[in-house]
Amino acid sequence: MEWRMWLQKIKDWVDGYTVMIDADMYIANRKRREKWDWRSIIDFIYEKDLHKLHNTLCVMCCVAFIGVMLLVVNDLPQYGNVNNPANNEVSVRYVEEGLEETGAVNLVTGMILDYRAFDTFAEANVLFLSVMGVLFLLKTDKKNDDKQQQMVRKKDAEMEAIEQKPIRQIGAKYLTPFILLYGIYIVINGHISPGGGFAGGVIMGGGMIFYATAFGKEKMEQIFTFRSFANISVGSLLTYFVCKSYSFFTGANHVGWEVPKGVAGNILSAGLILPLNICVGLVVACTMYGFYALYTKGDI
Amino acid sequence: MREIIAGIFICLGVIVFVISVFGVFRLRYILNKIHSAALGDTLGLALIVIGLIVLQTEALQILKLFFIVLFFWISAPIATHMIAKLETLTNESYEERVKDK
Repeated sequence: MEWRMWLQKIKDWVDGYTVMIDADMYIANRKRREKWDWRSIIDFIYEKDLHKLHNTLCVMCCVAFIGVMLLVVNDLPQYGNVNNPANNEVSVRYVEEGLEETGAVNLVTGMILDYRAFDTFAEANVLFLSVMGVLFLLKTDKKNDDKQQQMVRKKDAEMEAIEQKPIRQIGAKYLTPFILLYGIYIVINGHISPGGGFAGGVIMGGGMIFYATAFGKEKMEQIFTFRSFANISVGSLLTYFVCKSYSFFTGANHVGWEVPKGVAGNILSAGLILPLNICVGLVVACTMYGFYALYTKGDI
Repeated sequence: MREIIAGIFICLGVIVFVISVFGVFRLRYILNKIHSAALGDTLGLALIVIGLIVLQTEALQILKLFFIVLFFWISAPIATHMIAKLETLTNESYEERVKDK
């Protein structure tokens, strides 16, 4: 008879009949519901005598992951096979028609800044996000400052004022302009010769770091402040976005508005690749210098 | 004749580089390592670039190679100087370490 009662219950529930049929039984048998905590299942992990269990679990997790990865490796296609997915018509198209379609002599630049410009945009954004994370953690302002840190910073400033560094200063004075010039050269010639935004940006950032190590905080703040850092980074990212988003609005095919390619080999050629290279280079340089400045003095 | 002279210079430079690499691995203390690494960065590089200059005919190429040597001879000593300065400032047992050897 049990199942019939359950059937009746379900029928009543479907019909919307809310009065309890066996209310007396329910009242006689009811209990206070225990508050159930899901953490009680894994409570035993927090006991201190379980080092052995911890170690065993660690090893087992690692072995499981290694096993999964080895299985994946087992499924990989054979190296050098003609029928691999990597050997498709895309690379042939890049090599054969890349110069004509992008106008860049350096095919790698043509690939990363024309065919796959959206990917490069995300890479520049990753750099920007990483420097934002460091900024979020390490920048000293009114809210995350205390007397001890102020004392440490004051001592550092005094030490730096006393410290004599003539060799570094002479070197920085004569070398920094050339390092920056070389970085700019690599960025601007990105579509003609090897190099491009990332490599040239790293060189420019290195030059700025060199200057900052030699001449200290005050001298660097005259030419590169936090405000200019934010303006340059965000401005170049937005410029990149505006330059490249038009091709998505025009059907990803530049239909209707073709940027003139120019003569391949000239500086002013290859359509939008030159401004995009400059944007990437500026973001990379700002990121490099931002990391250095935030880790050394907690401020840009 | 020109090729023979260039070859002699480049071989000398490579030998100097090999000696400096041996020194970097053989010596144990950082200041000694700096000393031996500087050998390759200055003398070895200069010898190799002199060999390449002998091979060149255009004036502009020779100037570019000369600038390579100039840049390295200015920048490498500064980097070495900063490493050595860090060692003398931060190593607590610096005095004993230097006195013993």
